[in-house]
Amino acid sequence: MLKIRNLKKAYGNLHALEGLDMDVTDGALFGFVGPNGAGKTTTIRIMTGLLAPDSGSVEFDGQDVVARPGYLKERIGYVPDYFGVYDNLKVWEYMDFFASCYGLEGLTARKRSLTLLDQVGLGNKADSYVDGLSRGMKQRLCLARALVHDPPVLIMDEPTAGLDPRTRLEFRDTLLELNEQGKTIIISSHALPDLAEICTEVGIIDRGKMILGGSLEEIIGKVQTSKPLTISVFQNMDQAIRILKEHPLVHTMTIKEQEIMIGFTGDTRQECGLLAQLVASGVLVRGFEREAGSLEAVFMQLTRQDEERVVLSYEAESDL
Amino acid sequence: MKQNPIYRRETMVSARSFRLALIPMIFNGILALVALLNLYSTLGQVKLTAEIQYSNFMNLYMFVAVLEFVMVVLLMPALTAGSISGERERRTLELMLTTKMTPADIIFGKLAASLSTMVLLIVSSFPVLAMMFIYGGVTVRDMGLLLLCYMVAALLVGSIGICCSAVFKKTMVATVASYGVLGILVLGTCLANQLVLYLQQWGGDAWLVSAGQNGTAADSGHFLYLLLVNPTTTFFLTMLRMAGQEQGGGLFSRLFGNHSLESIHNTWVAGSIVIQLVMAGVFLWMAVRALERKKR
Repeated sequence: MLKIRNLKKAYGNLHALEGLDMDVTDGALFGFVGPNGAGKTTTIRIMTGLLAPDSGSVEFDGQDVVARPGYLKERIGYVPDYFGVYDNLKVWEYMDFFASCYGLEGLTARKRSLTLLDQVGLGNKADSYVDGLSRGMKQRLCLARALVHDPPVLIMDEPTAGLDPRTRLEFRDTLLELNEQGKTIIISSHALPDLAEICTEVGIIDRGKMILGGSLEEIIGKVQTSKPLTISVFQNMDQAIRILKEHPLVHTMTIKEQEIMIGFTGDTRQECGLLAQLVASGVLVRGFEREAGSLEAVFMQLTRQDEERVVLSYEAESDL
Repeated sequence: MKQNPIYRRETMVSARSFRLALIPMIFNGILALVALLNLYSTLGQVKLTAEIQYSNFMNLYMFVAVLEFVMVVLLMPALTAGSISGERERRTLELMLTTKMTPADIIFGKLAASLSTMVLLIVSSFPVLAMMFIYGGVTVRDMGLLLLCYMVAALLVGSIGICCSAVFKKTMVATVASYGVLGILVLGTCLANQLVLYLQQWGGDAWLVSAGQNGTAADSGHFLYLLLVNPTTTFFLTMLRMAGQEQGGGLFSRLFGNHSLESIHNTWVAGSIVIQLVMAGVFLWMAVRALERKKR
């Protein structure tokens, strides 16, 4: 559905985006992560039509949105990392105003607004002034505002920044509910554990390039192979070392007392094969495990400085 | 007809505000007080001397009209200079730009809202001006022309305010810039004429002489046409015409020299109104461009 190709944007000498490629499938809950200054907000601003790219293309359902901004505006709802509210309006008036900005008027707009306010838990605040809402309520109001024209795609830039844990959890539940209703959600956030729990797809951006993208399992699986495999040997250490030295997928080996830590680039099946080989050759293995991967660990690993970066066999860096 | 959402929101919020009722009340109260005191004083004089000074009524009319014009020119930048920058400061401008609203919709909605406030002030004060009808001397056509002058001035000054608001990020800077541009239009063009006139009277240099007049009396030559962009001059000339002083020897001539341009004087008001409307259009176009440029 969303396809970004070779997107470039520079602010003077600063290259914010350097040929970004990104794909988001229909109905995905896409987590867009990257360190500060990686180009997330620039990408989101281009996706929402607030910024024009220097080059490259952004396509929604095959339509170039840079050339057809009207098409884009009907298809997306935008929740920025700020509230953007009019304090002197009542909650329903705020919704009514943005509904009219999308061409919705009268009873249709009113019904839609009240339904959305109910959905985000602000139904009883419809007649309150926006000024009197808490931060969490304002953020939920912004979410309702972004949905007022029933867009199929919701783009959110750090929507939970500054919210307390309870509000974040409620917000997360609302997102899951929306995703279940068929909305495609693109969410940029630094709350990686939260993203890992809800996202179906993840894209990691660094220095203006997408360095890794795909389903969360795929990403963790790809990066996990770079984690050391720790083998605890109870007996027959020499035999274990000899087998590991000869194994083609073992690149590094560190021995500490009865534990051997190896750099093993094989997948889960090959790990099982190695374990079976050790056991069959008479090595008594007490422990055999690889450190579990997480989105946070992947993020930390991929966004290190170049000299520290573990080079992986993923597509984005295949030219290294 | 579908209303501009921004215009609708702005008018709703301002109608809810106590300020909207207070400002016309104070302004019209002052105007009415001055007018009634003047009327009372004139009628008191009639009782004493049995002589009616009809010129007093005209002076009263001029006074109220000038006061109102000054209000229009000084109030419009304050009403419009924060219109776009205020949205930017509230961070609602980007949200509007992600909707179906175009930059032109936003600009025109803001301008219409500011103008509606100003029209309310102008129209609500017309009953005070209409007191002149008691003794005659001013026709409905004259008042219509006056209203046109106010509206064109409000549109031009409002467009300047909105343009500055779209160009500058901060409301404070936009306000200062709006009054700066207004100062150049109103005072700058007058001072330029006065300077040229002064140089002409004292001999001037060859270039200034070649720029304009070949008669014996001093004038500001082609620099006079700078005043076409000055809404104050248009208003001033309209008022002089109403007072029957538009032809040579009037205040206009004393200020700007002995121009032998009576035919131009005859079409000055219409010409300047057209020019000012075009300028307002240019300022609004610049405002729209400024919003579109933010994408780059």
